[in-house]
Amino acid sequence: MASEKIGKVVEMSILTRIRRIPFWSWFWFILGALYFLLPLYATVNFSLRMERDVIGFKAYVRAFEDPEFIKTFLYSNMLALLTIVASIILIVPTAYWIRLRLPEARRIVEFITLLPFVVPAIILVFGLIRIYSSPVKIPFTDTTLLQPLTTFEVGTDILIVAGYVVLGLPYMYRSVDTGMRTVDVRTLTEAAQSLGASWFTIIVRVILPNIRAALLSGALLTFAIVVGEVTLASFLGVPAFGPYLFLLGQHRAYEPAALSFASFLLTWVAMGLIQLFTGGQGQTTGAH
Amino acid sequence: MSYLSISHVTKKFGDTVVVDDFNLDIEKGEFVSFLGPSGCGKTTTLRMVAGFEIPTSGKILLNGADITDKAPNQRNVGMIFQSYALFPNMTVAQNIGFGLRIRKEPEATVKQRVDEMVSLINLEKHANKYPYQLSGGQQQRVSLARALANRPQVLLLDEPLSALDAKIRVSLRAEIRAIQKSLGITAIFVTHDQEEALSISDRIVVMNTGVMEQVGTPFEIYNFPTTVFAANFVGSLNNSSAEVVDPANSLISIDGVQFESAVDLKQRRKGDKVRVAIRPERLSFASEQKKANVVDATIENVTFLGSVVRIQVKIGQTKFNMDTFNNPFLELPKIGSMEQVTCSREAVLVLDE
Repeated sequence: MASEKIGKVVEMSILTRIRRIPFWSWFWFILGALYFLLPLYATVNFSLRMERDVIGFKAYVRAFEDPEFIKTFLYSNMLALLTIVASIILIVPTAYWIRLRLPEARRIVEFITLLPFVVPAIILVFGLIRIYSSPVKIPFTDTTLLQPLTTFEVGTDILIVAGYVVLGLPYMYRSVDTGMRTVDVRTLTEAAQSLGASWFTIIVRVILPNIRAALLSGALLTFAIVVGEVTLASFLGVPAFGPYLFLLGQHRAYEPAALSFASFLLTWVAMGLIQLFTGGQGQTTGAH
Repeated sequence: MSYLSISHVTKKFGDTVVVDDFNLDIEKGEFVSFLGPSGCGKTTTLRMVAGFEIPTSGKILLNGADITDKAPNQRNVGMIFQSYALFPNMTVAQNIGFGLRIRKEPEATVKQRVDEMVSLINLEKHANKYPYQLSGGQQQRVSLARALANRPQVLLLDEPLSALDAKIRVSLRAEIRAIQKSLGITAIFVTHDQEEALSISDRIVVMNTGVMEQVGTPFEIYNFPTTVFAANFVGSLNNSSAEVVDPANSLISIDGVQFESAVDLKQRRKGDKVRVAIRPERLSFASEQKKANVVDATIENVTFLGSVVRIQVKIGQTKFNMDTFNNPFLELPKIGSMEQVTCSREAVLVLDE
């Protein structure tokens, strides 16, 4: 009963608020929305017209039926997953330690995480190939530490995931760091310590669950980058989704439109899921 | 051998000495407050007991064991923070059980202990709520229960009431004290609020700029402060410079007005400058029978403070506050009128300059 009442009050206040927004605000909002939605509408419309004079999903069926599509898409998903796990393992303890003990190092690390914006992916991939296509030796000795990574499949996978971790660094680090800003990392750590918790326990049971919203959004961004990435994938010659999409775009007309709309949908679903999973947490931070 | 012994502990951050030669022995079950303004080193001292800071020199012994360099998670001390520091992702019950689960206690034991703690803080109905669903006072009670669930050897409270509003602050401090007494747990309580320290402690350590000014029971600290700082920080106080007139009879003079003190001044010489302090509530209007320390005063101002009426009087050239309890039949003096004011010999405190 009470919650119904509150619901009504909230509804009313939203309505009155909408009415209060002046004309020009609406104007710019609609203009912005059109700028975003019109091309999307055009793409959808185009993708539905593969067969002459018929509106249908043929392009979608064709695109999804291609065995190459499924193979590359799954492969890229696996790379994305590995990249996300590797970035979390690398970045969460780093960001945590900087917040806790090394605030002076913050600017340096932030600068490093921004490097992927400055150094293009093509430079990165050539650097990787140049270094790891010959055996890695311990300096000043003949002992081989590492076989050339580019010569076998798992090695190349390791290389490309490492490269993707670098590309995703700005997004993942920023998300995690922002997430840690919203919880009082230092005091929570001390509270856990005085209750007998070890560093590992603190990170896994106290820090990670409290930044899960940030982790999810960082993971989603990383996922989006990895699945669509072309440069690293094509120069390292892996059967990834990015190069496949690129080739498809050069040789076909309707299927790329279908796939790009499908990827939009996928992104929206992912964003919806983030909202769903982090709703409770948003409230937590809101209450403080 | 005392239960918790902090001996010759000094802490420096770079070149700044934050805590300077801190010495204190605390008995088992004792409730000790560290009282002082911000930056006086009270929190740093507490954090050294907790293990979050390591002393630059000195030793900390707990129950006979040297814990000076031990990691915080090896100490079994309970810590309570100003910001509650509850884990936002866990319910009340999970928060309380956290330490026990870390210790790998059997699940049945954890459950039993959590139930015990939840009823200790009267939050049975809220055991499955998340911290953000609780009020500040409730959250701090959960944090108290969480700290106590582990049966810590000593309970450390770092300004636990400062973030709460006035009414909750008073009721929660009584609750903390009652729980501490009933469990017989040793506690150190850091605060900058003198009323809090006076009401809750067995003993108070008054601190200033990293140095212990005075250690004593609340009664001693309030009634017999030994330093100017302790006198001024605890309670409100009139203080003025004065001159020793007759050391043998403990006579001093403030701007030529003579006062007799109960303090032994035989160590001083005539003409010595001293600092004299008189609590506002010790001054009163003179009635006929009083003989000692009856002086003339001009009424400067009258302020109504609710339960107390504060009257500002001028004795010689110095202004003093005089507090009297309010009652509806009180006749307030006229501003500018001359009255006779008195205080007992014991009320005239002589402090080191």
